[in-house]
Amino acid sequence: MDKITLKGITKAYGKNPPVIENLNLDIKDGSFTVLLGPSGCGKSTVLRMIAGLEKTTEGDVLIDGVSVRDVEPGDRNIAMVFQNYALYPTMTVRDNIEFGLKNMKVPKEERKARIAEIAEMVGLTEYLDRKPANLSGGQRQRVALARAIVKKPAVFLMDEPLSNLDAKLRTQIRTDLIELHQKLKTTFVYVTHDQIEAMSMGTDIVLLDHGKIQQHDSPDQLYANPSNVFTARFIGSPPMNILPAEAAAGRLEENIVKIGFRPEKAELIAENGTAGPDKIVIEGEVVAREMLGDQIQYKLRTPYGNISVKDFGDSQFGYGPHKVAVPVRDTACFDAQEKLRGFGLEKE
Amino acid sequence: MTAIQNKLHPRQIKPAKMVSTLLRWCLNAFIALLFFIPFYWMFITSVKTLGQTLITPPTFWTWDPQWNNFAVVFQKVDIWGMLGNSLIVTAGTLICQCLTVIPAAYAFARYQFKGAKVLFGITLATMMIPSQLIFLPVYLMFSRWGMINTYWSLILPSASSAFAIFMLRQTFKQVSEELLEAARLDKAGELKIITRIMLPLARPTVVTLAMLTFISIWNDYFWPLVMTTKADVRTLPVGIASLRMTESGVNYQIMMAGNVILVIPVLVVFFFAQKQIIKAFTYTGVK
Repeated sequence: MDKITLKGITKAYGKNPPVIENLNLDIKDGSFTVLLGPSGCGKSTVLRMIAGLEKTTEGDVLIDGVSVRDVEPGDRNIAMVFQNYALYPTMTVRDNIEFGLKNMKVPKEERKARIAEIAEMVGLTEYLDRKPANLSGGQRQRVALARAIVKKPAVFLMDEPLSNLDAKLRTQIRTDLIELHQKLKTTFVYVTHDQIEAMSMGTDIVLLDHGKIQQHDSPDQLYANPSNVFTARFIGSPPMNILPAEAAAGRLEENIVKIGFRPEKAELIAENGTAGPDKIVIEGEVVAREMLGDQIQYKLRTPYGNISVKDFGDSQFGYGPHKVAVPVRDTACFDAQEKLRGFGLEKE
Repeated sequence: MTAIQNKLHPRQIKPAKMVSTLLRWCLNAFIALLFFIPFYWMFITSVKTLGQTLITPPTFWTWDPQWNNFAVVFQKVDIWGMLGNSLIVTAGTLICQCLTVIPAAYAFARYQFKGAKVLFGITLATMMIPSQLIFLPVYLMFSRWGMINTYWSLILPSASSAFAIFMLRQTFKQVSEELLEAARLDKAGELKIITRIMLPLARPTVVTLAMLTFISIWNDYFWPLVMTTKADVRTLPVGIASLRMTESGVNYQIMMAGNVILVIPVLVVFFFAQKQIIKAFTYTGVK
């Protein structure tokens, strides 16, 4: 069942061309849906329209099948975690968590019990009487989460909640959020520009660009079958290598304009080495070599553009001229509209 | 940078820096003195004898303080009654200003409505009209409504303040929109947002504005003089000024004793509000 449905949403500010035009989206109940895209793609705006903080210019938002056009944000049974946490600075942690409950007229005894439970859960029990200014970034983040969880909402909305944290904390809270989602089984809608966050946490990813949905799929599908060049270039670190079809030396179908392959599908071979007949071979020069422990990433300069190659073996390649071999069946074929036609579409 | 330098060369203070520190101290002391002298002069005069107030050169100290001067003040005018009137008028004005200024400032800071800019412009423009210009029409209006010699005639002319609206609006504008959105998602109504989120954040500004209003209303001589003719609604400044009218010339020591009584509440309030006021002027961003 769909928890949230966006029907033909258009959003325009003033007389400017719309940031989002006729967007349709279904968010499944209990899913961890990530709205992913580069900055300015309209993902935050979509989230804010679900929250009711932004009015839709056209179209309708449905929660549980009911239009919420005339429902105030506070009555939509949602909770939101903001990028800058938006904690009330003059209130203690306890008051911050309690504020929403008080407004929802939850009885005092229950409020107390819920706060105690939530504080225990996110590890804030000893900080309940502190003001947000006296907390670290990670602790503030947890207060913001606690404030959302304590309301027991039907939907959690999160607007880049991890972007103000350092890398180590970010990975840690990422796992915490996955755990939280597993525990609560409620619908999460999460906005980020970081594809790693999206891939690691999401059960569904909605990739947006210029206010349009590029692809709405599960993370593995998004990775394995990018529906267009944009998706292919956005997902993966480093992302898929995209080259003009000429790189395949005329082996692919006529209408294929661009080819792509994942860095880990390619294999680096010596300048004078040979590859099997089922492989496309591209000559190039290693210009950067990054040792990452379990793998080595090479960056090659070729006549068709730069290529990234991930090598998980012990083969030690240095700088200078080398060849890259890619199995034809792992080569994504894109047409003139940059849409994926399939993999390894060889000429008859 | 300087912290590192201090660690490396702990005892070397540059002479130029010492001179500038010294100069700054001298300047501070001078300014403090400038503000302190009138208060001291008022107090020391209030405990002099009439003869001491008149001699030249003037004396700056007395070994025999005349505390009796204060008793004379209490005999000559109804200090307690006028103090009560002053309190009623000041408190009434403060309450009225809270009721008008806070919602207006919030609306100007946070709502986009038709005519907002024009209305705000008009509000600011009222600051440029001197009260001397409007006292006559206001007096005529109040007298037609039979409000002369009532507390209302003293409270209503300052029931709102364009300056306070402007200052508070600027403070409200600094509060991040996210905070208000979070509150709306927490099901808080506008009134709750103002009282629980906005005002606590704007506390230094509110305290300072209240302080400024308190001082100006407490010390106001002009409006009470114009709007009242009876002693039972007159405020303290008018009463103290009446000490001047005596048959035997001006008794400066009695007048100054009256002024000391007038100024004490202001000093007490300032003493307690000081911290907030300093905060209001140093606070640049509410985050």
